[in-house]
Amino acid sequence: MADSPTAFERFVQGILPENPVYRQLLGLCPTLAVTNGMKPALTMACSVAFVLLCANIVISLIRNLLKPHLRIVVFTLTIATFVTIADRFLAAYLFQMSKTLGPYIPLIIVNCLIICRCEVCASKQSVFTAASDAIGQSIGFGLALSSIAAVREILGTGMFFGIRILPEAWPDWVIMVLPPGAFLTLGLLLGLVNWLGSIKSRRAS
Amino acid sequence: MKFLRNSNLAQAWLVLVLATFFGTALAGIQVKLSPVIEANKIRETMEKIPNLVLDASQASAIKTQDLIIQSRVIEVEKNGITKFYPVYDVQLKDGTLAGHVAKAKGQGYADKIEVLLGLDAKGSTITGLFILDQKETPGLGNRILEKPWRDQFVDKSSDAALVVVKSGTGQDNEIDGISGATISSRSVTNIVNTTIADIKPQLLPASKNENTKKLNGKIKEIE
Amino acid sequence: MIYLLDLMLIALTAALINNFVLYYFVGICPFVGVSRKVEMAFGMGLAVTFVISIAAFISWSITTMVLIPGAPLSSFIAGFFLPEESAAAIDLTILSYIVYIFAIASSVQFVEMYVRKFFPQLYSSFGVFLPLITTNCAILFACLTIMSHVVGVENPQDAWDLGRAITLAFFGGIGFTIAIVIMSGIREELELCDIPEPFQDAAITLIIGGILAIAFMGFTGVDSGIREALIP
Repeated sequence: MADSPTAFERFVQGILPENPVYRQLLGLCPTLAVTNGMKPALTMACSVAFVLLCANIVISLIRNLLKPHLRIVVFTLTIATFVTIADRFLAAYLFQMSKTLGPYIPLIIVNCLIICRCEVCASKQSVFTAASDAIGQSIGFGLALSSIAAVREILGTGMFFGIRILPEAWPDWVIMVLPPGAFLTLGLLLGLVNWLGSIKSRRAS
Repeated sequence: MKFLRNSNLAQAWLVLVLATFFGTALAGIQVKLSPVIEANKIRETMEKIPNLVLDASQASAIKTQDLIIQSRVIEVEKNGITKFYPVYDVQLKDGTLAGHVAKAKGQGYADKIEVLLGLDAKGSTITGLFILDQKETPGLGNRILEKPWRDQFVDKSSDAALVVVKSGTGQDNEIDGISGATISSRSVTNIVNTTIADIKPQLLPASKNENTKKLNGKIKEIE
Repeated sequence: MIYLLDLMLIALTAALINNFVLYYFVGICPFVGVSRKVEMAFGMGLAVTFVISIAAFISWSITTMVLIPGAPLSSFIAGFFLPEESAAAIDLTILSYIVYIFAIASSVQFVEMYVRKFFPQLYSSFGVFLPLITTNCAILFACLTIMSHVVGVENPQDAWDLGRAITLAFFGGIGFTIAIVIMSGIREELELCDIPEPFQDAAITLIIGGILAIAFMGFTGVDSGIREALIP
């Protein structure tokens, strides 16, 4: 970590090598709560992306003015503002979806992913790097969310984006769209990702 | 002391500037979006109303704007608790009363179930049922959302209390329960029964009531 | 009587039926991170329960006194500048998220100072967790749930009072403690087990969490049963 990573490195790292969910275990609350269908999962990923991008840009713009001990206050203020904006936009233009997501949109405020990126990247690097870091992390977060949502929605309801893809004979595994399904799916996928990672590193060595 | 406070304030200038800036932004958002959000909330109920009081062919022929929908609140006192039912009176354009829609809430299996119940003008027949909000078990309890099940309530008389049965014997006041979700089906039926019992005596003197509000006007104002 | 029953049902629902961790998935980070030892888990649970109750008190007060339209304090202040009707219509709920998160952060700070000064023993058992729980979703979640029962309620009688708000928060915290202590007990036993390497730590914790969630699903419907039996 002697040289701070470039914009492109930040972008690539966010997607897989430092995937916020599978690698850093950040933002688990929405990851589990809204992944019982693809649509809420993607809406959540987009909201997080919006907040992360805006917060990263703002923090990066004012990074030279930040006093170290007031930095968390500034982060929280910025994030909470953008979350409120995202929440109101959803309520105004995607009313049903905002009802489905309920309290999980405001809970983005305490999503460790965003405050962690502000601290690690945006408060130290230029706007361009911070923005590409935000986009990379958001794509990584979106990928993680949609991978879990895909498993849960297909197994749980036989549907994908609300369209039936498994034959009618498929007995819906209702448990997958219920809370326990979220834990089981994420646990198994996390194990799978770790396993693939260990194979890769073994091969490299 | 004064110096310290000054320096504290001076250190926090960035926070203060940001707070002002964000506050202004939020005020702008509030002014711009809150009418839209309000309209969304009203429209959510309004959209369902025509289908609940009119039958399908009539409902598709009539636009929501052609109906005059007025809302009022019916208060019922029972066992020392006052219950409130928002009721929407639906009139056709020529002024004839088409029916009433009541919003009611009750305990389901997992959480509260919120329903819209349509009654005809006299309140003697159920004309429709819609589940606004529920958190029942997916695949079992939440089959109360399915139209075929809800349609069992249509045309039932409101005189006798409805009962949930496992296999129907063709009696008038019977509702077939959903297998695996007897409690959810019974909860909805109970909500319907209680609502009818509570509001039926107060349905009729609707037109003269003073606290009626014209909803159509409100939604037009907003839009 | 009915009020007491109502409180009891809110408590039961928050602690067991709709457990914060296993049903709403809030507070997963400490559930995975701080559940290795029973003592640590218990300390964390205590800290969360403590702060969540205080945060609920603060956020309920601010919401009803300042934020909602027609709130006493904001309309009183605005009454100096505006005519009465528009002063009563002032709606500050858009600020609620910002207000809550700062209420939580400051109450965490305050609790930490207070406990360190006056209850050193208590501080040594859960003090180290206090700074961590500002970003614990469970606390903001409790504030938001309370808000949803206070703001925009159709019938004024349905709006929650302070007693209901604090009951929900306190027993939500208890539910969190129950979940995390059970989890840490299981994880202490797991140390003797031979878990495949990719599944160690977080993955196996989540899978066990899933099984616990299935177990807790058994409580579903208990509240409606009690309500049906006791309220005529």
